[in-house]
Amino acid sequence: MRLLLVDPDPTRASLVAEGLADVRPLDLRRTSCLDERELAEFKPDLIIIACDSPDRDTLESLREATQSNPRPVVMFVDRSEPGLADEAVRAGVAAYIVDGLQPNRVRSILEVAMSRFQLMQQLRADLAKAQSDLAARKTVERAKGLLMKERQVGEEEAYAMLRKLAMNSGRSVSAVAADLLSFHGVLRGDKS
Amino acid sequence: MTMPLELGFVALTDAASLIVAKERGLFDQEGFEVSLHREVSWATIRDKLMAGVFQGAHMLAPLAIASRLGVGSDAADIIAPLSLNAHGAAIGVSAQLASEMDDFSAASLARAVAKRLGRGDPLVRFATVFPYSMHSYMLRYWIASAGLDPDRDIRLVTAPPTAIVERLKSDDIDGFCVGAPWGVVCEERCGAHIALGAGEFWPGGPDKVLGLSGAWAGQEPNAARALLCAIMRAAMWADMAENAEELASLLSSAAYLDVSQERISKRIGRGVNDIRFSRHAASFPWRSHAAWIFSQMLRWGQVDPSVTPERAVECYRPDLFRVAAADVGMSTPLTDSKPEGLYDGPWALPGSQGPIPMSADRIFDGSRFDPDSIRDYAAGFAVTRLSG
Repeated sequence: MRLLLVDPDPTRASLVAEGLADVRPLDLRRTSCLDERELAEFKPDLIIIACDSPDRDTLESLREATQSNPRPVVMFVDRSEPGLADEAVRAGVAAYIVDGLQPNRVRSILEVAMSRFQLMQQLRADLAKAQSDLAARKTVERAKGLLMKERQVGEEEAYAMLRKLAMNSGRSVSAVAADLLSFHGVLRGDKS
Repeated sequence: MTMPLELGFVALTDAASLIVAKERGLFDQEGFEVSLHREVSWATIRDKLMAGVFQGAHMLAPLAIASRLGVGSDAADIIAPLSLNAHGAAIGVSAQLASEMDDFSAASLARAVAKRLGRGDPLVRFATVFPYSMHSYMLRYWIASAGLDPDRDIRLVTAPPTAIVERLKSDDIDGFCVGAPWGVVCEERCGAHIALGAGEFWPGGPDKVLGLSGAWAGQEPNAARALLCAIMRAAMWADMAENAEELASLLSSAAYLDVSQERISKRIGRGVNDIRFSRHAASFPWRSHAAWIFSQMLRWGQVDPSVTPERAVECYRPDLFRVAAADVGMSTPLTDSKPEGLYDGPWALPGSQGPIPMSADRIFDGSRFDPDSIRDYAAGFAVTRLSG
């Protein structure tokens, strides 16, 4: 079976390909953008495409057989298992089978792709959170330093002041720290 | 209590009412916490609405109808209780094709196509954004008006707006039909020429709608009504001449259209082809618009001739529109449908709270559309897949 994976994100595509490494026999080709010539030449039986690929609408229009694409593609809908198409969209993928393919093998392949897409989403979310945590910690450190200098207090006392401000205003310590830094900048005459 | 709502949109000027309602706090006022999600494909907009990821979305009017009919996807309960705009789309040709044409008429295109065929050149290629779109029907209508068959004499391809700009630059396509501001971008970045704007093709004709999950609107009738009120108010704001600059500035942001304010401004105003959001009943979901769209689906063989027009027309929900319009004090038409293509100039339509000033609605070839004889209309064209 020939599978074409269309994903503008090469890292994510690698992750999917890795997940499908055990599936045999499978001829997998990856591309970041859909090329109609490649489509005609490779003749995939199944196309898995990222929902955030701008080529989805082009693929949708290939339902009808044309000169350059003699084999029409259809949206993958497995009527015996309602909800699978919805699940795939939630995971961020859509699948198209080319007319004539028996859909019984599609589910397992699609499930691998779905789980890999979700894994990527989780990894990205974790990374974003780690980055914002780090940035927040840096802001708090700078605000602490500022208080220590301006108010001549120790580190622990500076942090206690920030925490008290945060509790009184019902906001996070890092938000209060960011405000403190920007107010200090304004008072000092920094151009914001 | 605030209600979270997930709404989808594509980067186009006609998504303005959703963006304005979000940015100017109109959704907040109605008790919603709205997240707007920009998508790069209409297929994903449709699929996320069908899967319940979105409760509502900026949608091509024909796509909402196609989804309801199960054309191009499984049939889904999608309703269109409000139109988001009229005008904005435009047909354009590349600088090269323009140089082969005497003027920008369809007849002139037909002569250029014949010359290319005579030389044995490849078919002229035009790109639109989706098979079920007013862009596709407007382009097909225009091409066929000169006796060309858009499926035989030219090659139609589908590509998102940004790809249309790129493909035009690399001479991969010879023409396009695309929504604002992308026609302006094609003119300015690729030297393309606009041949026909939607406001010349059919003044006040349909384009995008608010697509809603029918199941959600059924379970949350009050929320659906409040959502419509917020969008109606946003459309009225977006339509006011004094807000044009602020509107263009809002839309140009990287999170929304990510196109320069100057380019967006070129289709906001009072010109023939400028976008309308609310004026002249632009936001009313005319069932005669849905009927016309269905006629083109029949004409081009996109739907089986046995499908009854009622199934398409019931996608549009003027009943829901009227209830919300009463809340915002907007005068609404007393009928759900009107004959289309009758007026060459301004006219007045009776409304629930006084007459509504209307504009010309003449279709460019002068044809008239009676929403009660869809089949005859579709079969009556010189180029059509439907036999009478």
